[in-house]
Amino acid sequence: MAARGGPARQRLRRAWAEFRSMRTALVLLCTLAGASVLGSLFPQRPVSPDRVDGWLAAHPGIGPVLDRLGVFDVFGSAWFSAIYVALLAAVIACLVPRGRALARLLAAPPPRGGGRLDRYRSAVAFQAPGTPERAAATARRVLAGRRFRVAAHGPGELAAEKGYLRELGSILFHASFLLLLVGLALGKGTGFRGQMSVVEGDEAADARINYDVFTAGRFFGGGLPPFTLRLDDFTSTFRAAGQPAGFGSQLTVTGADGRVQRQRVTVNRPLTVDGVRVFQSDYGYAPWVTVTAPSGEVLSDGPVELLRNPDNEISTGAMRLPSLRPQLGLELTFFTGLRTPAQPGGGFQLVNRPQLDNPVLVAWPWQGDLRASRAASVFTLDVSRLRRAGPRPLVLRPGQTAGLPGGGTIALRSVRQYTVLTLARDRGVPVVGAAAGLILLGLLPSLYVRRRRVWVRAEPAPGGTRVELAGLALQGRLAFTAEFERLAGEVRAALGAPLSPARAPAAGGGAGEPGPAGGDGPGGRERDAGLLEAARAPSSGTTLAGDEPARAPGRPADPGGD
Amino acid sequence: MSAHALADLSDQLVVLAAAAYLLAALLLGAELASRAPWLGRAGVAVAVTGLAANAGAALTRALAVGRVPWGNMYEFSVTASAVIVAGFLAWVARRRDVSALGAFFVLPAVAVLGIGRLVLYARPGPLMPALQSGWLRVHVLAAIVGSSVLLLASIFSVLYLVADRLERRGAAPRPPLIAGGARTADPAGVQAAIAGYATAEAGEDAEAPDVGEVAAAPRRRLPAAATLDELAYRTAAFGFPIWTFAIMAGAIWAQAAWGRYWGWDPKETWSFITWVVYAAYLHARATAGWRGRGAAWIAVAGLGAWVFNFYVVNTVLVGLHSYSGL
Repeated sequence: MAARGGPARQRLRRAWAEFRSMRTALVLLCTLAGASVLGSLFPQRPVSPDRVDGWLAAHPGIGPVLDRLGVFDVFGSAWFSAIYVALLAAVIACLVPRGRALARLLAAPPPRGGGRLDRYRSAVAFQAPGTPERAAATARRVLAGRRFRVAAHGPGELAAEKGYLRELGSILFHASFLLLLVGLALGKGTGFRGQMSVVEGDEAADARINYDVFTAGRFFGGGLPPFTLRLDDFTSTFRAAGQPAGFGSQLTVTGADGRVQRQRVTVNRPLTVDGVRVFQSDYGYAPWVTVTAPSGEVLSDGPVELLRNPDNEISTGAMRLPSLRPQLGLELTFFTGLRTPAQPGGGFQLVNRPQLDNPVLVAWPWQGDLRASRAASVFTLDVSRLRRAGPRPLVLRPGQTAGLPGGGTIALRSVRQYTVLTLARDRGVPVVGAAAGLILLGLLPSLYVRRRRVWVRAEPAPGGTRVELAGLALQGRLAFTAEFERLAGEVRAALGAPLSPARAPAAGGGAGEPGPAGGDGPGGRERDAGLLEAARAPSSGTTLAGDEPARAPGRPADPGGD
Repeated sequence: MSAHALADLSDQLVVLAAAAYLLAALLLGAELASRAPWLGRAGVAVAVTGLAANAGAALTRALAVGRVPWGNMYEFSVTASAVIVAGFLAWVARRRDVSALGAFFVLPAVAVLGIGRLVLYARPGPLMPALQSGWLRVHVLAAIVGSSVLLLASIFSVLYLVADRLERRGAAPRPPLIAGGARTADPAGVQAAIAGYATAEAGEDAEAPDVGEVAAAPRRRLPAAATLDELAYRTAAFGFPIWTFAIMAGAIWAQAAWGRYWGWDPKETWSFITWVVYAAYLHARATAGWRGRGAAWIAVAGLGAWVFNFYVVNTVLVGLHSYSGL
């Protein structure tokens, strides 16, 4: 290439060409896979923050370094975004010239065949009655019937091509990833996601304060739609063996416009209100506990949410009563279906069944300094400055009351359940869904549509017309041999030409000389030819160099193909 | 029949299928070593029997639990091994002469089924709430078929690498028997090639000391490297859209069940990695300098991602998919 502009500009051009080459895309794809491997091997903060903390505690040396590098949030890290943005940029940079080439291809008629059609690997020639014009018109009809795009190049000469959808599909497939990214960014940027727990009979407004966990996108305006949720009833059902069969929340939702919806939200059936989707995530137990001071004053009266362990269905929690002197803390353990079968040794075995059929609340009182000013989990007591009060815990069944150390009482009025709902708004979902559909829509033709070119030349010959047919497969040559033979047979039949073996030797020379008639089973030959073809063609290939005679004019450099 | 009896029958059919596959692999491996065609026919017949038992196992399991049999990793394994063997048998139906390669397909199926039975076995039971969705059918079936077909593609790539190495090691480009061997397409060329093959066969001891005996024996039974490469590509091109769809269906389901379509859960991450690796393979096959061996090695990496995704992710890494039987 002649130097255009300075050497710096040339270097730039070369770098640009390299950037949009398939090699770059491949390297970036492999990098993307490698980075994802990293993200799956290390615990990730957005997925399991406690495991990240554990890892950091176990590796005080290397941990913080890896943390700074973003190893614990690979998929949110700048360098991970850099990889996929670079990949997408390289793909787009490659798509633009491909799109232009496709447009040019579609604008121009299919290019003329080479000087000698018999030089193509798939070629055939035969005698047919009638004039060349009639032969060309008939061949055109056959080709059009097989959805070829046909152009005439002079009288008796045709060029046909099909399979444009392959490149179109490929461009659609790749471009759709840009749309996918837009949808992703839109959803993440303007959306939010949070968890809220609501006790049966309670109502919660969609306000930040009511969320246990809340994450919002960078461009989230902060305006939560002002709807309210009420948990009318929570049901969980279990099979005989104790496995959960299903659970769901009967919700009454009042939208911002006052519209009321009543729906049972279950694991695979969310509810939508004011653009926010409400999903069933988890559940737990909230015993209604009333604590009365020695003076008779009610210190606490309401459901206490406990943390449920899904493995044994035992829930734990805590109550703090800092107004008592000394301060009183209650360590709570809740059993859904407590059984204590006697053991042969004389002791008791503790069995907890998941069904709520024999609920028991065990409260262990602690006295001392609750350290209430310090931030701590609501489900555990900080016992560093507490001592156990009393020799044994208080055991309560619904309706029972027990005396507290130092006076006062504790009563278990009833057991309620609470539901954990995930609320999320993602405006990108329709965009992402559309992108996914387009990806699939583009992928199929880009893999399965095959480009073919066929040329027809009809010339006057003694006693009628000499028809030459040649074909070129840009993909799937294996199948093309048989396909071409069928096409040639159809053209021949339409022209009323006498039947004789269709195939001309590819080595050139005797093309057009009808071979010995009959004798070979076409099936067997096709099969052989297919296999031979496989041995010859190194791949379904994209470049034709060295494989096909270089005489096919106007042959486009294959734009990326397979 | 009662659900109990059906479940027991299913378990027994799995053992029968695994035994039949193992026997088929032995017979087909013996065919590769000895070239006796009856071994191939017997091996294929036994493999068909195994497939029937395997399909029966999946069916009786489905009847026993009253739902599609894709609720845990064990059930996944049972269907996946059937898809792998069915894929191989479909290939044999089109080209009888490739049965000698059967061990390369039936053995992975035995491994999938065996690991499923011995390590991942789950007692027949109802689905946990998160799995009670119509998407189970769509997502898991697509995942089974897509991943099994991609596994087949990777096996073709491994065979391609072997054939390619043997072809390059053999000094003279002697025509491989199965592929017809001719370098030209005309009947005369085929005749010449067959004649040449016979000559080479006769004069083997005298004129081809450079080809190791061990290498020479299976080489003639392997299809041409180019054929295997083409088969690998076409199989991957068939499996890739199915895998793509499986991931998309999973995302739709995740959106309905968990409120987000993608969350980089380990299973999602490794499905994505597997997808990226096979996408790289399909691209590499159209890239100068990567076509051929480079691309095939990427397909081998895809096999590694497959194994990791199915076995390591579910058993070692903690994620939302870990309920699937373990």
